Amino acid sequence: MSLLNDLFAKPLDPGYEDAAARRRAAGERPTSERTWRSPALALGLVALGLLLTMAVLQVRNTASVVSSERQGLIEQIHNEDARVSRLQGEVSALEAEVGELESDLLQNSAAGQQTREEVESLQATTGAIAVTGPGVVVTVDDAEEQEAQDGTDRVLDLDLRMVVNGLWAAGAEAVAINGQRITPLTAIRSAQDVIQINYRPMSAPYEVSAIGDPRSLARDFGDGSGGEWLRRTATSSGVRFDVSSDESLTLPAGNTPLSYAVPGEGAP
Amino acid sequence: MIPLAGLLVGILAGLYFDVSVPLELQPYLPIAIVAALDAVFGGIRAVIEGIFNDKVFVVSFIANVLIAAFIVFLGDQLGVGSQLSTAVIVVLGIRIFTNVATIRRHIFHA
Repeated sequence: MSLLNDLFAKPLDPGYEDAAARRRAAGERPTSERTWRSPALALGLVALGLLLTMAVLQVRNTASVVSSERQGLIEQIHNEDARVSRLQGEVSALEAEVGELESDLLQNSAAGQQTREEVESLQATTGAIAVTGPGVVVTVDDAEEQEAQDGTDRVLDLDLRMVVNGLWAAGAEAVAINGQRITPLTAIRSAQDVIQINYRPMSAPYEVSAIGDPRSLARDFGDGSGGEWLRRTATSSGVRFDVSSDESLTLPAGNTPLSYAVPGEGAP
Repeated sequence: MIPLAGLLVGILAGLYFDVSVPLELQPYLPIAIVAALDAVFGGIRAVIEGIFNDKVFVVSFIANVLIAAFIVFLGDQLGVGSQLSTAVIVVLGIRIFTNVATIRRHIFHA
């Protein structure tokens, strides 16, 4: 404690006292006349001002460098996002072209005609081509007033998975969320609090469109596991949802590229 | 007045020359400033009490800055740099506050 006591009791450098005492002992005044004009004090203050300015400028420069770096990263993310979208559009266009060429080739013969219809129905089932038909739209949205810090009043990837499963169980023939077709390769997952479907980030409200019998689909969905899940989530966390029938829905094609899986059973 | 003019000259010189601190010395700059502040307020108090001494001021200024920076450097080498900077700031901060309080009493008699 004595160290701290010293600190409080004698904050002034003891050197000043000692020097003054020495001068008094030598019979001089304890200090020279021109104290305020002491060049040492002025120099010390010049140094202090210099140090202060240097530190302030340094902090400012660092802050601007950090923020510009951050801005650059954000820009890069947007650019890459746009690139991915463009490439996905390119892939869809090329796939459509391939489909057209295939059907042109197959149209020439009766057997080809039959093969073409078969291929198209298979593509519709797997989500490789766009489909149109009557169905229902289930809209799921975050709670109106978001208070929970842990995000429990937001729509979770689990909720969307339950809705999609419920729609399949109720007899849906094709499902898409916010324009992303659910294909055999689709993952509905959340990364960093953002729901990703087909590896594309989505935001609320989520429109789950499903093609199927417009009357029985809505009813069976409401009675089934999907509707039950939504009602339970709505009461517990305030997530809003709405089910409506639609006479004509168009679901876009999804990407179903296979690199390793080849058709057939045995080794070639 | 002259010390105040010195401070201004220092600030203007810093702005004008736009000196940049080498990267390795950056962590020591804030500590050096606190140490310099302590020496300067000590000097001002000594002037007011009539016992100012050039040599004591210069030695205490330079020694303060160097020792404060050295302690932080040592802390960095030992992995406790932030704790030791806190210690330096607490000690020098107490001295600055007490000295400034005394200066205030001398000037305003309150």
